[in-house]
Amino acid sequence: MFREKQRDISWTVEQLREFESKVGDVFETAAIHGPVHLSYGNEDYLIDLFQYVNSQDWVFSTWRNHYHALLHGVPPEYLMERILAGHSIGFQAPDNHFFTSAIVNGILPIAVGTALGLKWNLSGRMVWCFVGDMAAESGVFYEAVKYSARNELPIHFVVEDNGLSTNTPTQEAWGMKKPKAVSLGIHQELTEKYVSYFKYERTKYPHQGIGKWIHF
Amino acid sequence: MGKYTNELTRAMERLGEHPKVRIIGQSTLWDGHALFRTWKNVPVEKRWELPVFEDFQMGMTIGLAMQDWIPLSIYPRMDFIILAANQLTNHLANIRLVSNGKWKRHIIIRVTVGATEPLYSGLQHSQDHTETLRTLSRGEVDVVELHSWEDVFPAYEYALLRTDKKPTILVEYSNLYNGE
Repeated sequence: MFREKQRDISWTVEQLREFESKVGDVFETAAIHGPVHLSYGNEDYLIDLFQYVNSQDWVFSTWRNHYHALLHGVPPEYLMERILAGHSIGFQAPDNHFFTSAIVNGILPIAVGTALGLKWNLSGRMVWCFVGDMAAESGVFYEAVKYSARNELPIHFVVEDNGLSTNTPTQEAWGMKKPKAVSLGIHQELTEKYVSYFKYERTKYPHQGIGKWIHF
Repeated sequence: MGKYTNELTRAMERLGEHPKVRIIGQSTLWDGHALFRTWKNVPVEKRWELPVFEDFQMGMTIGLAMQDWIPLSIYPRMDFIILAANQLTNHLANIRLVSNGKWKRHIIIRVTVGATEPLYSGLQHSQDHTETLRTLSRGEVDVVELHSWEDVFPAYEYALLRTDKKPTILVEYSNLYNGE
């Protein structure tokens, strides 16, 4: 990693999974009037990564944001309250510098603007921007990494690649006959400092919910 | 220069005096369109040149505002801001609602309806999408039309000083740039 460890993470793999399991159980009772996107299988990487994220840093995430929020220090009670109120996919925690969007690629330009603002403010803080593999293959991602690297912005992009966008195989949709790891579409020298990448498999939860009650 | 352009220049000078305002967009540092001459008196360190990526620019505008800057985000043609409709309606128009008003969003957007006289700038450089912008903004962004030179300075000053920090889109008309 390009910086020193910033904090200890108290969350364990089992605790994170238990949180998602609780959400899934409640969702199955039809008590949540909104979609939920649950995580599973990427805990080890994220727990390790968030040791390098300062609690005053800014984190940008997507519709699948529960792990990122918890690991960044958002109180689990508050997150659960908002999930139960139906606001999982657009969850916001301004007090924790935590922003999400349910628009694919939507966070990228906002994250870059935030990083530029932090740089102008001489704040010493940085932005962490989490995207999936489909977003990482997009032109917007290319623009975001290129602009950030060339302007030396305090930002780091993290690509979480489970090979799927909803249920579409990302690489096949982009015309790759033999799916392999995300190509990122950018020059390697740009990615070393600014982009982290890891691959995991969707083994438990489907794209949304737990796969039983409703398909939205 | 005519009164309309003079007032725009005065408005830019006023905004340029504010320590948190930054003019962002294309041709803020290099002369590339008619708006350029209106910020000639704003110090260069308060202007930030961007590539042509309209939707990205709108997103960056939001991010800068979240860090307590007041971006004056410029779109030299109304036709171009249509490319930023995604960030405008999916984020800027929602940002107060999703955060209970906690995300900062003091933003000024400057957009111009392209000229038809004395030079017709063509179908892709002269459309007026003001009502479309209002629809996309859903009341979360004020869209203000500057039909007269008398409208200009008060509108910009209000957008800068407004206590509710609500985003403002100011619509100018290139046909008035060359008037008396």
